[in-house]
Amino acid sequence: METNSSSGSLLNKRLQKELMSMQREPSPGVSINSHTLHGNSLSQWIIDMEGAEGTLYEGEKFQLLFKFSSKYPFDSPEVTFVGPNIPVNPHVYSNGHICLSILTEDWSPALSVQAVCLSIVSMLSSCKEKKRPPDNTLYVKTCSKNPKKTKWWYHDDSV
Amino acid sequence: MPETDDKSEDTATFECNICLDTAKNAVISMCGHLFCWPCLYQWLETRPQGQVCPVCKAGISRDKVIPLYGRGGSKTDPREKLPPRPQGHRTEPEADYAGPGGGHRYVFGDNPHFLSFGIGAFPFGFFASSFNLAGGAGNPMEHQHRDAAGPADHQMQDQLVSKLFLWLACIFLLWLLMA
Ligand SMILES: [Zn+2]
Ligand SMILES: [Zn+2]
Repeated sequence: METNSSSGSLLNKRLQKELMSMQREPSPGVSINSHTLHGNSLSQWIIDMEGAEGTLYEGEKFQLLFKFSSKYPFDSPEVTFVGPNIPVNPHVYSNGHICLSILTEDWSPALSVQAVCLSIVSMLSSCKEKKRPPDNTLYVKTCSKNPKKTKWWYHDDSV
Repeated sequence: MPETDDKSEDTATFECNICLDTAKNAVISMCGHLFCWPCLYQWLETRPQGQVCPVCKAGISRDKVIPLYGRGGSKTDPREKLPPRPQGHRTEPEADYAGPGGGHRYVFGDNPHFLSFGIGAFPFGFFASSFNLAGGAGNPMEHQHRDAAGPADHQMQDQLVSKLFLWLACIFLLWLLMA
C-alpha cells in the first residue's frame, strides 16, 4: 500500500542512517551485534555493551534488544536487557526492563539508538551500589512483557 | 574515504533533526533547530499537549517556526501544504482528524503534487470527475478505493457513459455543420 510504504521508507531510511553512523563512529563499549545485520528487516537490533572501565560493571558484558515500531522515530523504541547477564542496578529489573525516562515520556525523535545506549552506559556507570530496584519481585511478577506499557514512576534519586 | 567524510560533515548542518536527511520543506524553530516541516508536523501531532523541540526541549508550535526558502525553490510556505501522514493516524480511536464534513485526508506516496488537494470532500469530487473525463488508465484517484472492489467498476462505467455522450455531441455538431 502506498501510504504504508511512504511512512515505512522514513523508518527504514532513518534506521539505515543510524546503523551507518554507529558503524562509522562507534561509541566506546557499544557495538551492534552482527545478528542484527542478518535478515532484511531492521526492526530489531541487538546491541553489545561493555561495562565502562573504573565502574562497578567493568569487565561485564551485556546485551540490549531494541524493537522499533512502525512509528519510530516518533514513537520510542522498546529497549530491554536480554541474554544471560542482566546488570544488577537499581534501575534495571531482573527481567531486563529498564526504568529510564527517555524510553517513554521523555523520548524525542532527535534521540537515537546511540544516544539511548550512551544514556544506559552512563546510568550504569554512575551506580554506587549493585542492587535490584526495591520493587523488583512484585514488578517482575505483574508487569507486561512490553516495558513501554509500564506506567513508570521515575524515582528521582539521581541514580 | 576522507573525501566523502568531508562531504557528509558539510551537509550534516542542514540535516533534519528527525529523519537525519537533508531537510525538505525546511522550517527552523525559535531555538534554531532545523527540521523538515512534514517531520516536525508529525512530531507535533504525536504530542498535542506540551509540544517541545525534539532537540532542546524548548517550547515549539506551528506558529513559532520559520519556513526557510532557498534560492529557486518553491516559494510556498511549507506549513500550507498538507504533510505526509502515516496511515496509523487514520485508524486511531481519537477521531479528530476527520473534519466536521467527514472530509478525508489521503497521502499519495511520493507524489507531492496531490498533497495539497487531499483535504475535504469538495476538492476530491472535483478532481475525481475531471480525471474521469480524461479517462486515463493509471488514474491516481484509484488509491481512494484500494480497499473496495466495487467502485472501480463504477468508475469504468462512468467513463464509458461520459465518452459515449462526448461522441454523441461530436456527431451532433458534425450533423449541424453538414446541414
Ligand atoms: Zn526530516
Ligand atoms: Zn530546539
